[in-house]
Amino acid sequence: MSHQHIYKSFIKICFFIITVSASAQQTNDSIPKDSIIYKTNYGLRLGVDISKPIRSILQDYNSGIEIVGDYRISKKWYIAAELGNEEFTTNEDFTNSTSKGSYLKAGVNYNSYNNWLDMNNEIFIGFRYGFATFEQTLNSYQINTGNTILPPVFNNYPSTQKGLTAHWSELQLGFRAEVYNNIFITFSGSYKVMVNISDPRNVKTHYAPGFNRIYNSNTGFGFNYTISYLIPFAKK
Amino acid sequence: MLNSSCEKDDFCIEPITPKMIVRFYNSTNITQTKTVSNLSVNPEGYDEIYSNVSIDSIVIPLDVSNNQIIYNFSSEGNQDILSINYEIEEVFVSRSCGFKAIFNNVTVTSDVSNDWIIGLTETLENTITIPTIDNESSAHLQIFH
Repeated sequence: MSHQHIYKSFIKICFFIITVSASAQQTNDSIPKDSIIYKTNYGLRLGVDISKPIRSILQDYNSGIEIVGDYRISKKWYIAAELGNEEFTTNEDFTNSTSKGSYLKAGVNYNSYNNWLDMNNEIFIGFRYGFATFEQTLNSYQINTGNTILPPVFNNYPSTQKGLTAHWSELQLGFRAEVYNNIFITFSGSYKVMVNISDPRNVKTHYAPGFNRIYNSNTGFGFNYTISYLIPFAKK
Repeated sequence: MLNSSCEKDDFCIEPITPKMIVRFYNSTNITQTKTVSNLSVNPEGYDEIYSNVSIDSIVIPLDVSNNQIIYNFSSEGNQDILSINYEIEEVFVSRSCGFKAIFNNVTVTSDVSNDWIIGLTETLENTITIPTIDNESSAHLQIFH
């Protein structure tokens, strides 16, 4: 229920931004056009997610790298993708398991922000299709007996299931600022809904690379902080 | 959102490893339950689970670290020994509950001294095999006394 609620409010916010920017555009149209046309750069933007290395240092995360890229196709639209590899250990009360693998997310971004003059900032809404291929290792587990009279049993023989896959859809909301000429900092959050996930034999997948923790309702959340560089191809 | 992966979104509410449910019956009128007076129960080598209670049904755990557990059942100072042998099957329940054990081919044997336990079947035999113990919805073992 709460996820649904978050999802709904998220969409509401997105629509609000779209409507506000659309109405702002309409009012602009009624004003006679200025003779100066401000141009912005078009090109391929490549970057790296720096939240993953930071989380590795903070030790709530094992390791990961994500390369992000987008290509501007019109004033408002971008083709965007993320490619990553990560390893994450899920420590639950009775199980400890590690997921390890690679993922690719591809889709589009829509910039709903109206830039002032020749500035090139964004408040974007993105949609992605995500795919991951990974393995999950059950490192250790304890049989849940619910009694404290008899001694607990710990199993410490790791077992790995390879060849697991995940497919999901993802909605993103991000803020991007050009902090220096062609250098951008992006801050974005995502809400993911699993479409298809394979589970190891006799266990469940707790974490899929790129999707992050798989909640009971087959949903997930993500957070990115990226630094990227725009290779300008044209000025339009 | 940064720490969402650390928060608990579920709690273990599903059934976990089942315990063995034992009901006591009257050996002379086998359809009638019969209260045991001053019953004490303990797994061999461990503390008592029941101590001097008058009761007609009990719940006892099986040992998941072993294929056997021995229980001492004493009523009014008379002790009977029950050996329980079984195969353990591990079953994944959920993220928060982890794995549970279920027990197959459970063979219960009462020692032949028959201090107060007369039998474990309606024909008052000293041994019985229960195909599986995978839930706690009904009694698994009948003890006639």
